[in-house]
Amino acid sequence: MDDARQPSSPSRRRFLSGAAALSTAGWVGGTATGWLLQPKWAHAAGPIKMGIATDITGAIAPSGNANWQVAQFVVEQINKAGGINGQPIELYLEDTASDPKIAVGNVRRLIQERKVNVVLGGITSAMRQAIKDPIVNRGRTLYIYPQLYEGQECTKFLFNTGPTPAQQCDKLIPYIIKTLGKKRFAMPSANYVWPQLLNKYARKVIEANGGEVVFEEYYPLDQAEYSATIAKIKDGRVDCVFNTVIPPGLQPFVKQLHESGFQKNGGVLACVYYDENLLNYHPAAEMDGLLSCLDYFQSIDDPFSKQLQVDYAKKFPDTKYLFTAGSAATGMYRGVKFYEAAVRQTKGDLSREAVAAAMDSAKLANGPGGGAEMVPGKYHCKMNMYIAQCKVAGGKTRYDVISKSDMVDPREC
Amino acid sequence: MSTARGVVRRGRPLRVLPIVELGCLAALLVVPFVLSERPDLMTLMTNVLILSMFAISFDLCWGYSGIMSFGQALFFGVSGYVIALVGRDLGFSHIWGVLPLAILTGTALSFIFAMFLLLGRKTPTAIFVALGTLTGSYAAERLVSGWQYVGAGNGLSSVKLLQLGQYEFVEGVAFYSLALALLALVYLASRGLMRSQFGLVLAGMRQNEERLAFFGYRIQVYKALVFSFAGGIAGLSGALYSYHQGFIGPGNMGPGLSTTAVIYCLFGGAGTLIGPVIGTAAIELLSYFLSDTAAIRSFWPVILGLVLLVVVMFQSTGLLGLIVSTRERIGSYGARMPRKPEA
Amino acid sequence: MDVAVKLAFDILSFSSVMVLIVLGLGVIASMMGIFNFAHGEFVLLGAYTVFLANEAGFGLWTGVIAAPFVVGLLGLVMERTIIKRFYNTPIIAMLGTYAIGLVIREIVRGLLGGHYKSIPEPIEGAFSIGEMNFSIWRSLIIVITLVVISASWLMLARTSIGLRIRGSLENPMLARSCGISTTSLYALTFAFGSALAGLAGALIVPLYQLSADIGIRFLVQAFLSVMLGGVGTFEGPVLGAAVVGMMASGLPWVVIPVLADPLVFVIALVFVKLRPQGFITVGRL
Repeated sequence: MDDARQPSSPSRRRFLSGAAALSTAGWVGGTATGWLLQPKWAHAAGPIKMGIATDITGAIAPSGNANWQVAQFVVEQINKAGGINGQPIELYLEDTASDPKIAVGNVRRLIQERKVNVVLGGITSAMRQAIKDPIVNRGRTLYIYPQLYEGQECTKFLFNTGPTPAQQCDKLIPYIIKTLGKKRFAMPSANYVWPQLLNKYARKVIEANGGEVVFEEYYPLDQAEYSATIAKIKDGRVDCVFNTVIPPGLQPFVKQLHESGFQKNGGVLACVYYDENLLNYHPAAEMDGLLSCLDYFQSIDDPFSKQLQVDYAKKFPDTKYLFTAGSAATGMYRGVKFYEAAVRQTKGDLSREAVAAAMDSAKLANGPGGGAEMVPGKYHCKMNMYIAQCKVAGGKTRYDVISKSDMVDPREC
Repeated sequence: MSTARGVVRRGRPLRVLPIVELGCLAALLVVPFVLSERPDLMTLMTNVLILSMFAISFDLCWGYSGIMSFGQALFFGVSGYVIALVGRDLGFSHIWGVLPLAILTGTALSFIFAMFLLLGRKTPTAIFVALGTLTGSYAAERLVSGWQYVGAGNGLSSVKLLQLGQYEFVEGVAFYSLALALLALVYLASRGLMRSQFGLVLAGMRQNEERLAFFGYRIQVYKALVFSFAGGIAGLSGALYSYHQGFIGPGNMGPGLSTTAVIYCLFGGAGTLIGPVIGTAAIELLSYFLSDTAAIRSFWPVILGLVLLVVVMFQSTGLLGLIVSTRERIGSYGARMPRKPEA
Repeated sequence: MDVAVKLAFDILSFSSVMVLIVLGLGVIASMMGIFNFAHGEFVLLGAYTVFLANEAGFGLWTGVIAAPFVVGLLGLVMERTIIKRFYNTPIIAMLGTYAIGLVIREIVRGLLGGHYKSIPEPIEGAFSIGEMNFSIWRSLIIVITLVVISASWLMLARTSIGLRIRGSLENPMLARSCGISTTSLYALTFAFGSALAGLAGALIVPLYQLSADIGIRFLVQAFLSVMLGGVGTFEGPVLGAAVVGMMASGLPWVVIPVLADPLVFVIALVFVKLRPQGFITVGRL
């Protein structure tokens, strides 16, 4: 209440927030400090302020909420273990509302009002491009982007912790062509930058492996009718649909594709952002046989990842926001951990130059789906990648992991 | 018709509007001194100024000339895109060049729209004009969100900073002052126009279009002129918005933003020029401070909807109608005010 | 040949969807002169009813059948409380209904938690003729659309209540002096239009995903359809919707999809400008 209404007295404001940090409050919501997760103890140097800018409301809210929950989850783990060099992390949330034009305003609050040391978040490429300028250039703050994306983001002080096209395509496409023997690809896509650049890369890999792209086509995001597309798929004798259509246009597309008998006639649907969240987007029958390639699936048999899921479920029992790869939650986990590793190395120096320098070669021994390491000078990280296929049993869908590739190179910058 | 309070008295009527106008000006002048420690609030207030211009441009259409424009954001957005592209592809962002360009873009585009929607042999229905602007804005949003050259769904980000000589405007006091100066200019220009003989014709049109047409006034031409003027203002605010936010996207030219202008304007008080400014400030500030509360944040659009509903149902003169009389809202025209205001 | 048949079916099926959505809007616009900006949200509520019925375990069919009644009832309440104030001011009516739509849409968005929900067809699957597969549900939508059009037309053109509605439309004063209660007729018409929207929502939701924006996506197209066909007639909006539906599903075959989308609006708008009275000018109801 106070600080918002009394903008002219910064000293009082600082005093108040210090006092709040000393109190035992865990969750402080409400008007005083926005959405804030405060540690239970204070440190002489004050807390490390971490800003999360993600889509709590709007079209991508399910992913955004998963991101926010994972951020809380990791930060709580770090704080419980004594913080970073004894310094606790304080979390600030701003809603980017799935709308870049709202986001650019809200992100500024993190920088200008909360004065955070680092911002993590943004899910869609549109969001990243919209908020990176207020964060990195105008705001002079470190930015970590957690989602799988189209690559080519080589901005200084912007680190990417999600998979790149190389990581997603380099193993999956040869598998489809060589192992499954599907050579004729169709690329129906939503019209924005992620599908375009991903397709560009995928096309190269397809052609290098002896496959052929029959057509590549872009639709408005909420296209409802795909009859023309389905006809082209049929006419072109396509046997693999490499899909980058996203919701809300996605569901009618998958339905119409299924109705046309594409899968029944031996066609394969591949979709590289499909994770556990999306299993409920379609009736089970339409999902059967779908191929995906991500840095993590819940069915992966890795003790550390399994324990993460158990702990996550303990913190958020019965949550509808899952800890999955496609929603950027794994990238968020890695982002926070990379930042932690970097600040440990700088011995508490929070200036973005120092942290960025340390982060450039940071390594994580463990994480969802395994460890990860930054490729020095490249702003991207190596990680394990998994190819998985959707299986339907008793009306329930699940992913079966087909293969694992260790420490795949992002091949960016 | 509801008569507002604080109204016409015998003899000289109490003039409330100038007091409100001066009060707003004073408040806006004080802002940089009070808020210099809070860059986030400076940014917010600059945004309020820019969007106020946008709301005024809608008000000129609806409040003053009865054109329901659901497409005001079109001029706002296109102009924002144009200056962002000029910055990106030509590397040019000098203030003396880009702001006139923005105004020109808005004016030209709205004039083309006015030619299509308003002029022509058959007089178009009000509904056609309203739906036409809506469609234009919607189609443009969809076209832009699919057009690679202008960034498609991503929009244009990292817009080149606005320059004056070597100086670059980042958000803060300098940008605020610039926006305030431009808002004052826009306000005075609009006020001058609306209080002139031209404005008198518009007032007559609002009362009875047919009768005015019988007097020989070409109603649609007047409407087209106001629409183009308003489009220029929308263009200016769109460009400023684009520079200030460093971002412009398809959502900035769609019906969503257009209807936001409707809400600003009606909430503050359509048919006055200070109404939209007050409405914009009220809604933006409320939204900023209430969005900290989770419960309100999710239902903020619902609250906006209810506000709009209440205004159109019960308080068509908006906030300002509570303190300003009908007589005063209609105003006086020409160089001299007639001595006897009311019989 | 195969492609032509499939194309015809797809265009027909999408046009049916458009017609279903536009029908209610057209009835209200033609009979009452109100362009209902909340129409998209009435469609959404129809879809949401199906979702709720299914979640509650009543089954999809219950939802589909309940939807028009639920939404019709809501329309009735809304007409009595809000819409009736707007009859003399069509532009203000747009703003008012826009506000209503915004409120409904955002409440539903909140209730859905921003998620997209998949709703299965009450009858799933496809039937095949030769090499070609046809979705059963889409075929059913085509049939239901035809039935609904005929029934609505019969009601308006052949029953006494239809006569009274047409009478009040033509000359409300005279109708009132003949002892016809125009208020209750307006309420009834609005409820009927809303019910049609609800039915449309319930029928189309299995084809798409349930999200708060399912209705608004069609709104501008629906307005254009009504203008295109001609306000004040029954056949006009139906015809307009069919044309818009054809363009929307046919154009992507000819030009790139991203361009096809705005092109539909431009073509329709230019046509309306050149022919403001719409396709149908004679035989107004």
